[in-house]
Amino acid sequence: MKISKKTYDWLETRLGIEELIGKSLKGYLLPRNINFWYSMGSILLFIFALQGITGILLLIYYVPDAEKAFNSVKAIMNEIPFGWFIRTCHVIGASSMVFFLLLHMLSVLFMGSYKSPRELNWLSGFMLFTLVLAISLTGYLLPWSQLSFWATTVATNSVGTIPLIGDFLLEFLRGGKLVGPPTLGRFFALHVAVLPVTIAVFVMIHLFLVKRIGISTPPFGLDDTKNRWDDGKFRYEDHPGGIPFFPHYLLQDLTSIALYLAIFVFFVFFTPSLFFPADAFIPADSLRTPAHIKPEWYFLANYQALKLFPNEFIGIIVQALAMTFIAFLPFLDRGKEKHPLKRPVFTACAIGGILIFLALTIWGHYS
Amino acid sequence: MTKRNQMKIPTSIFALMSFLACTLVLAFPAPAASQTQNVCIQCHGSLEGRLGKPVQQWQGSIHEQDGVTCNECHGGDPKDAVNAMSPARGFIGVPEEKDIPGICGRCHIGVNRDYLASAHGKALGKGGPSCVTCHGNHAINRASLALINERSCSRCHSYERAGELKDAMVKTETLITTMEDKIDTIRKGGTDTEPLEKALFSARNQFHTLFHDVDVKKVQNESARINRDLGKIDASLEAILKKLHERRIAGAIAVGSALLAALILYLLRKTYEKN
Amino acid sequence: MHGHDRRKFLGLCLGGITFTLMGAAIYPVFKFLAPLQTRKSAGKVEIRQQDLAEGEAKFIEFGGEPAVVVNSGEHGLIALSAVCTHLGCIVQWQRDKRRFLCPCHAGLYTESGEVISGPPPKQLPKLPLSVNNGIITVG
Repeated sequence: MKISKKTYDWLETRLGIEELIGKSLKGYLLPRNINFWYSMGSILLFIFALQGITGILLLIYYVPDAEKAFNSVKAIMNEIPFGWFIRTCHVIGASSMVFFLLLHMLSVLFMGSYKSPRELNWLSGFMLFTLVLAISLTGYLLPWSQLSFWATTVATNSVGTIPLIGDFLLEFLRGGKLVGPPTLGRFFALHVAVLPVTIAVFVMIHLFLVKRIGISTPPFGLDDTKNRWDDGKFRYEDHPGGIPFFPHYLLQDLTSIALYLAIFVFFVFFTPSLFFPADAFIPADSLRTPAHIKPEWYFLANYQALKLFPNEFIGIIVQALAMTFIAFLPFLDRGKEKHPLKRPVFTACAIGGILIFLALTIWGHYS
Repeated sequence: MTKRNQMKIPTSIFALMSFLACTLVLAFPAPAASQTQNVCIQCHGSLEGRLGKPVQQWQGSIHEQDGVTCNECHGGDPKDAVNAMSPARGFIGVPEEKDIPGICGRCHIGVNRDYLASAHGKALGKGGPSCVTCHGNHAINRASLALINERSCSRCHSYERAGELKDAMVKTETLITTMEDKIDTIRKGGTDTEPLEKALFSARNQFHTLFHDVDVKKVQNESARINRDLGKIDASLEAILKKLHERRIAGAIAVGSALLAALILYLLRKTYEKN
Repeated sequence: MHGHDRRKFLGLCLGGITFTLMGAAIYPVFKFLAPLQTRKSAGKVEIRQQDLAEGEAKFIEFGGEPAVVVNSGEHGLIALSAVCTHLGCIVQWQRDKRRFLCPCHAGLYTESGEVISGPPPKQLPKLPLSVNNGIITVG
């Protein structure tokens, strides 16, 4: 008997691989009208893995000390072989993560997959969204450049506007009255340990929930696109006669990942300067504020919206309320219809919202 | 089959608001206020006419960019509104023409030395130019060959000799500006260009200082040496640019391979779809 | 079956590409992790101690960049980079004042390279120096 067959049989008697493959892979059926939007999640998983790997590699040479951080990053970019590649992948990976997260969120919204019984999926996803923004924000400070220092100053300033406890919270967050070495210490711990682990845990919760209740049926290409679930007992949404996950949809996932890689690698090799403003290469100077500090693109809309409110605290409250509304959307939108064109009010509001977000982002960029 | 959307109206308005601030988690206030509390700028900046103009001219100048403020030339105290213009704090007001090179020369030492020894410097106070004659006093911009032009130089004498000097300097100046552009391109991608920038600045400064002698022969002789130094810097820049080009080729191969992989995976999936 | 043959062929192509891409990814990671070779010491520069009187400074080239050796008397022999830390001009030695002056924007340094006044943000970097049998070696 060949050695591979022997090994396989040995594992089979101990792990029951046939049953695993049968149930979770070949036997796991997906709706026939599934589309490529359902692979956004695996792209995100891939990006997260890449961020983890590049992050750990960077950890080897990065020094989280305010005096040495900038130079350690400079060494990574200029002296360590392929350091420029690892770092650039990490920087561009961060922006891609947020971008694809937004795409994933939007596709779920438009296909109505957030509706009952998938409220918990949506909530855990929303948590992940918040965590990803937090990990991006904390990571931004680590190179200790002018951009890092001042963008963090501006970002954390808003915490101080909360009445009564604002100043205390601000000092706690920064480890002092102003952004300084203590801030680097706590942001580093958050970025490297606390947030990645929390994200991993929430990803596992999210995946468990997705698998437990079953994949939602996309509303496209069907006559009846209503949500047929009723508030009764637990019922797994199976898709008899559907497409097996293995190898069919796995191949779709892999195709999407390969396409993502092509686009990603293009940006890494050909347009890295898009992701590095000039201030990213100047060491932090606590006495010199640069002329135009702007947050990273995914925060530009926040930034611009806040500038429109006369009172900073009101501005924050409005945004917090908006976020809360989005978080609890599945509880507020109990409509049964899933097809975007058959629920025009929702779709109009959603498109309106996206346009406003884009407008604010572009305005924030040029202002 | 189009059944009416069952979402309530108030909820839909909320939906609109939600996307108004759709991804707003962490709020961003307006940028931190500028840290310079300079009373000269605060007061003169709000004045109209002759007393306010210098502030406007100074804004956007290279002195503003590099943090050279009013008191550096005019003396006085920029932090004390009461004694800002007190002679006790060194305030000299509008300088006399003959004092100007001394004031600029406090920082621009090399240039001042060359200027004082030159025909221009010897003519100071007798109709000759001071620093501000060519460079301006408040709206000072980064020095370039454009400062040597017919309109400016023919104010006092024929342009011919100025033109000769400019011709002698054009080649080196063009080399310098081309290299500055290369450095800019390289820096944006993340490469550390500081040592090269410094070497280039040093050469550029030596070269520009040269001009102030207004001596064509001297410029020509020194230019050879400076061009050699520039050549060494350019060689390093070209090596970096070559490396960056090689990276892009590797990148193209990587992108191509990923696309190819995507195509193969897509075709593979298609073979299963017949079932 | 036609489908099976095509599947096998595509699978093989995919395997090939994945293998190549993996290799292309592992090579940079390996080089990234490999310990750095210590830079070979740039050519050392030697000058005779007797050529450098007290209060004198000699400008040399070290590691492709301008450097200076100072005989400061009280602080002994010091080797420094002669590149001003402001914008890169080469500093000059003022013998009467026992200090370095940068002609570009009047940065002033002590004989051991510390900033006295002016725009330089940092002191002049020190270079390794040793003396043996009347020979000063920089590097």
